Amino acid sequence: MPLMVEEHIRKNKRDTLLVCIFMLSLLFAIIFAFGFAIGFPPIIAMSIGLPISIIYILASYSFSVQSVIAAAKARPANPRIRKEKIFMYKVEEMAIAAGLPVPKAYVQDSSDINAFATGKKPEEAIICVTTGALEKLNTEELEGVMGHEMSHILNRDILIATVTVGVVGAIALISEILLRSFLWGGGRQRGKSGGLIIIAIVFAIFAPIFSRLAYLFISRRREYLADANGAYLTRNPEGLARALEKIKADLPDDPKGSPTVAPLYIANPFKRALKDSIWATHPPIDERIRRLREM
Amino acid sequence: MIWIILVAIVILLLIIATVVYYYNKIIRLENRIDNAWAQIDVQLKRRADLIPNLIETVKGYMEHEKSVLENVTKARASLMNAKTPQENMEANNQLTSALKTLFAVAENYPTLKANENFLQLQDELTHTEDKISYARQHYNDSVLAFNNAIETFPGRTFARRMGKKEKPMLEIPEESREVPKVSF
Repeated sequence: MPLMVEEHIRKNKRDTLLVCIFMLSLLFAIIFAFGFAIGFPPIIAMSIGLPISIIYILASYSFSVQSVIAAAKARPANPRIRKEKIFMYKVEEMAIAAGLPVPKAYVQDSSDINAFATGKKPEEAIICVTTGALEKLNTEELEGVMGHEMSHILNRDILIATVTVGVVGAIALISEILLRSFLWGGGRQRGKSGGLIIIAIVFAIFAPIFSRLAYLFISRRREYLADANGAYLTRNPEGLARALEKIKADLPDDPKGSPTVAPLYIANPFKRALKDSIWATHPPIDERIRRLREM
Repeated sequence: MIWIILVAIVILLLIIATVVYYYNKIIRLENRIDNAWAQIDVQLKRRADLIPNLIETVKGYMEHEKSVLENVTKARASLMNAKTPQENMEANNQLTSALKTLFAVAENYPTLKANENFLQLQDELTHTEDKISYARQHYNDSVLAFNNAIETFPGRTFARRMGKKEKPMLEIPEESREVPKVSF
């Protein structure tokens, strides 16, 4: 039954911790491998690698919300524009239906229809929609989308999603920096054991992929639940179903923001990811519509 | 001997933990209902506060529609006087239908419909009405969670001891469930 979410919330909190630990060890392994490969003794490599990775994870944890908002180039909704005012109204209504504090309403300038929720806890949550969604969805459909996003907040999906997005981004960035600096300076290395260098390079290439896969696995399962709970909040599955249909018909031609943030959105803003594969951040949209219509 | 004491202590601790868990759960769910009611109350007040502004704005345009305006004022007065949750809901429904008539009549006054102030009030009143119905929905969800907790075993046993009884849900009349349309 929808809204029996206590169990899910507990699981989400545990998963967030696991993801953080997993990412921490991944990051540490990268830095350690590189330090070791370019000739630092293990102890030094470790004493440099550990603090750097811990600080990095902590920093990306605390700045995750800001970095998501920055990556999406979102701005606070303007109550003087009627459509954005109605969006703010809908956010407030859904918060009341869910019995949660009212999240901040943000708008992203983009012609696509999309929306996402972020924040580490319900008290400081943010719901963001694209101007395209405000333009193309009617009130009922917008309400359906808001219900879906509010469920992500209610289920604490936003915590794990936001933190992971931040950390996945950090890992991708660090691997890239290390990989580049390594390849660039690689020629001047003294003949350290070649095998280790190769392992380190392989590691730097695969770590971002691993961290992403780990996240994708978690992300897809949550969408059906958020659809179901969202429909429960609005008492109107048809609204969300129609919004999803519009999203499907209106394939994004000009995705905004970085692909790392993609899992946060209600539907993936990148075309290729609409297909059903292990790389998909979301379950297939047709299946979601079908399940909503069956409620 | 020492084993028996240890086992007894463990069992005792388990019992205490269970009692504390269910006691807290029942209290928490009951508080959620009170909180949900407070939400409804805030929105009802907000709605009642908006009415005088609306009447003030509309009065000049709708001189021949005295009865429509009077109905709205009357419904507002009974909302202000309502005591129990169910009374509040009934007065609120009365107000909803009075306002519906007013907005329908307003369609005949193009100058009024072009009035910025009127449009804003209309949006805001519609929004408040939506908020009331969602707050009521949340109230009923909370009552359902509470009733489920105190009617199923083992919550039932604790609820009896605590003297907790099932709470009634707020009746939702058919017509007011349909979400008022705001057209873009």
